[in-house]
Amino acid sequence: MSLRHYILSFLLILSGRLFAQDVKFTASASQTQVGTGEQFEITFSLNGNGQYFSPPNLNNFQVVGGPNVSTSMESVNGNTTISNAYSYELVAVKEGDYTIAPASIVVNGRKISSNSIKIKVVKGRPVQQSNRGQNGPDNSITEAKPGNLAKSLFLRTVLDKDNVYQGQQLTLTYRLYTRVGIVQSQLDKLPDLTGFWNEEIKTQQQQVAWHTEVYKGVKYNVADVKQIILFPEHSGSIKIDPFEMSFIVRVAQQSGDVFDQLFGGSFQDLKYSAKSLPVTIHVKPLPETGKPDSFSGAVGNFTIASSVDKTELKANEALNYKVKISGSGNIKLLKNLNTNFPPDFEKYDPKVTDSVTESESGVAGTRFYNYLLIPRHEGNFTIEPFKFSYFNPSTGRYISLATKPFPIKVNKGTAESNVTAFSDAGKQDVKLLDKDIRFIKTGDPDLHRQGSEFYGSAGYYVLLLVGPLLCLLAFNYRNWQQKNNSDIVKVKSRRAGKVAAKHLASAQKELIAGNKNEFYEAIFRGLYGYLSDKLNIAYADLNRDKISAALKAKSLNEGLITRLLDTLDLCEMARYAPVRHISEQQVFDKSKGIINDIENET
Amino acid sequence: MILKMKLSRLVFILVILVMPSLSFGNDNANALFLKANAYYTKGQYKEVLGAYRQIVDEGYQSAPLYFNLGNAFYKTGDIPSALLYYEKAHKLAPGDDDINFNIRFVNSRTTDKVGQNPEFFLYSWWKTFMLNFSIGTLSAMSIVFIFLASAMLILYFFATSVSLKKASFYTSLLLSFLFALTFFIASEQTAYFEGHRQAIVFTSSVSVKNSPANSSNALFVIHDGTKVNILETNNGWLKIALPYGNEGWIKAADAKEI
Repeated sequence: MSLRHYILSFLLILSGRLFAQDVKFTASASQTQVGTGEQFEITFSLNGNGQYFSPPNLNNFQVVGGPNVSTSMESVNGNTTISNAYSYELVAVKEGDYTIAPASIVVNGRKISSNSIKIKVVKGRPVQQSNRGQNGPDNSITEAKPGNLAKSLFLRTVLDKDNVYQGQQLTLTYRLYTRVGIVQSQLDKLPDLTGFWNEEIKTQQQQVAWHTEVYKGVKYNVADVKQIILFPEHSGSIKIDPFEMSFIVRVAQQSGDVFDQLFGGSFQDLKYSAKSLPVTIHVKPLPETGKPDSFSGAVGNFTIASSVDKTELKANEALNYKVKISGSGNIKLLKNLNTNFPPDFEKYDPKVTDSVTESESGVAGTRFYNYLLIPRHEGNFTIEPFKFSYFNPSTGRYISLATKPFPIKVNKGTAESNVTAFSDAGKQDVKLLDKDIRFIKTGDPDLHRQGSEFYGSAGYYVLLLVGPLLCLLAFNYRNWQQKNNSDIVKVKSRRAGKVAAKHLASAQKELIAGNKNEFYEAIFRGLYGYLSDKLNIAYADLNRDKISAALKAKSLNEGLITRLLDTLDLCEMARYAPVRHISEQQVFDKSKGIINDIENET
Repeated sequence: MILKMKLSRLVFILVILVMPSLSFGNDNANALFLKANAYYTKGQYKEVLGAYRQIVDEGYQSAPLYFNLGNAFYKTGDIPSALLYYEKAHKLAPGDDDINFNIRFVNSRTTDKVGQNPEFFLYSWWKTFMLNFSIGTLSAMSIVFIFLASAMLILYFFATSVSLKKASFYTSLLLSFLFALTFFIASEQTAYFEGHRQAIVFTSSVSVKNSPANSSNALFVIHDGTKVNILETNNGWLKIALPYGNEGWIKAADAKEI
C-alpha cells in the first residue's frame, strides 16, 4: 500500500469518529466470570458530561468500594472530548448468574441508560460477611435517618467468652457500630479493668480497621477501637465498666434544593456521646482437686523443653541451663520457675527472653529462661528434672510436665579461683591472706607411743598414791612415837640402856687408856645412872639397899641382883684399893652383861 | 630414821617403775623427726609428709608431731588433712598458741563459714582455763602438788615449834587444793575431749541428709575442711551437728574423726 492509502484510511477513521460524536453510556466489568469472594470492578463510562447518575441495584453483590468517579478530558485539534466513568468494586457473594441492571444518567436533558452486564459467579473462596482489609467506612451505609443516632451509632464491649477460669485468657473488644459518617472521634473514658492483668493487642495499622457487620438485622460499619487480652486475677463476677466516646457525626439533611442534591445533599455536623453497656465476666476459681505441687498459676496450653550447653566442666566454670516454655496462655505471668539445681551450684537469676505475640486468639509464644550456673566443687551432680504444671481450661484439668534430668560432671577447677570462690564478705581473711601459717615446732618432739598417755595410766595413779601413803605412814609413825613418849617412866627405862651404854662406852675408853681409877668410876657411874633411870630413883638417893629393894620389887632374879651389887661393891672397892682377882676387861663385860640382863628381864 | 630411809627408797623404786611410760620414744623416731624438720625448712614438703607420716605410722604421737604434719599437709594444699592433724595436736596440747593460730588461719581457707555458737561467758572462760594446759602437764602438776602437800603434812606431823606446825599445815592445805584443782581439770579435760567427738569433712561436697539413708532428703550441704560434732554413729553413718545447731546424717566415709 502506498502512502496515499494510509493517509486515506487515517482520514476515514477520523471521519468515523466525527460521526460517532453521539453520547454513549456503556457498562463494562473487569471480568464476567468471577468466583465467590473474588473482587471485581464494574465501570459505567460516559463519553460526555452527564448528571444524575443513578447506579443499578447491586444488592446481589457486596460493594466494597465506589462509586469512584473519574473524569478525563482530551483536546485534539480543538475538538474537546470529555469522558466520565463511575466504577464500583464488587465482591461476589453467592454463586449463580446475575445480571447487573443498566444504570441511567441524564445527558443534555435526555436520560440514557447503559447496557446490562451478565456476571457468572462460580464457587470461589468463602466470603467473609464482614469484610476487613478496607480502610474506610462504607459510604453506602451512611444513609441513616437522622434523629435516631442512638440506633445508628453505638458502642459495645464485646467478650469472646464471659465464663472463664481464673487466669484463663479472654479477649475484650471495644467495638464501634455506626451507620453515620464520623468526622471526628475521641475516646473519653476507658475502664480501669481492675481484677485483670491485661495485654493490649497492638495492630500494625495506624488507622482503625473498618468492616461491615450485621447486628440485629441491620448492617453497620464496625470498627474495633481497642482489643485487650484479659487474665482474671481472682475468681468471682467481675464487672467491666462502660467505655465512653464522643463523636462529631455528619448527618445528611433532606433538602429540596437542586444544587444541594447536585452536590450530594447537605450535611450537618452533630456532636454525639456514646457509652457502652457494662459487662460482667464470671471467673471460676481453679479446681483444688488434682492441683500438683509444682503448679504456680500457669493457665493455658503449654509445652516445655530444657537443655544444657555442656555436661562436663571444671569447677567455677559457667554452665547454661535453658528452659523453654511455649504455648498459649498467661505465659508472661509465669513467675520464676522452681528449678531444682544441686545445692552446690551457684545459681544466678535467670535471663528471661519472651517472644510472645498478642492476637485476637490470645497471647501465645515462647518464653526462654536462661539460667547461669556455676558449680563450685568437683563431683558428679545431677540437675533434677524440672517440673512444670499448668491448668488447661479447655479440658478443665491440671497437666504436669517434666524435663529430663542432666548428669553434670564437674572436674577439679584451678586452685586459685577456689580461694576467692566463696570467701564470705564477713570473714576477715582478707587481712590474713598474705600471712602464712606458723612455722613448725622444732624443739623436743616429745614423741610417745599412742595409748601410752601418762594421765590415766597405772603409773600415774601409783605416783598419786605415794604421797598420801607416805603421809599415812608418817602419821602412824608419829602416833606410835607419841604414844611411847607420853609415858616418862617407860621412856626413861627405854633410855636407860642407852645411858648405860654411853657410860660403859666412856668406861671402855678409860680401859683402853689404862686409867684404872677412872675406869671403875665410869663403870660405877654408868651403872648408877642406869639404875637411877631404870628404877626412877634420883641419882642422889640411890644406895645399895634401895637398889636391891627396888630390883626385888621388880621381881628380878636374886642372882642377877647379887651380881649387880657385887659389881657395884667391886667398883667402889677398886676406887680405893687395887683389885687383883678380876681384870678390868672382865668387870666391863660383867657390867655390860648385867645391864643387858636387866634390860632383858624387865 | 631407818623407816624414812626405807620410804624414800620405795618412792625411788616407784619412780623407776613409772618412768618407762614417760619415756620420750626411741632415738630412731626422733632422728626422723629432725630430718623431716630439715626438709620442711628447705621446702620439700612431700618428703616432710612422708617422714612425719612414717613416725605416725610407727605408733608415735605428740602435739609437735601432729602440728608439723598439719603444716606439711597445708603446704601441699590438703586443707582437710591439715585441719585434722591440727585438731589432733590441739587435743594433746589445747593451750598451744601456735596450734590454735594455725587452726584459725586454715579455717579461713575452708568453704563453709561455720560460726561459733555464742557461749555463756563463764563457760568460755572456764573452757579457756581448762584447756590452757595439756593433759601431760596437768598430770605432772597434780603429782608434784600431792607430793609437796604430803611432804608438808609430814612436816606438820613432826614439827615441834607451833609456828612451823601452822605454816606447814596451811601450806599443805593450799597444795592439796592445788592438787585437787589440777586433778579435776585433767579429768574435765579428758571428759571434754571424750564428750566432744569431732570430725573433719573430707569430701569436697557433702549433702547432709535427714536420716541415715541415701534416699532421704538433703537438709544442707557442707564442704571439705568443715569441723562437725559427732552426735552418734549408726551403721556407717554419722549424725553430725554444726555449731549453730543444724543436725543431720552423713556417711562415715565422708569425714574423719579427730
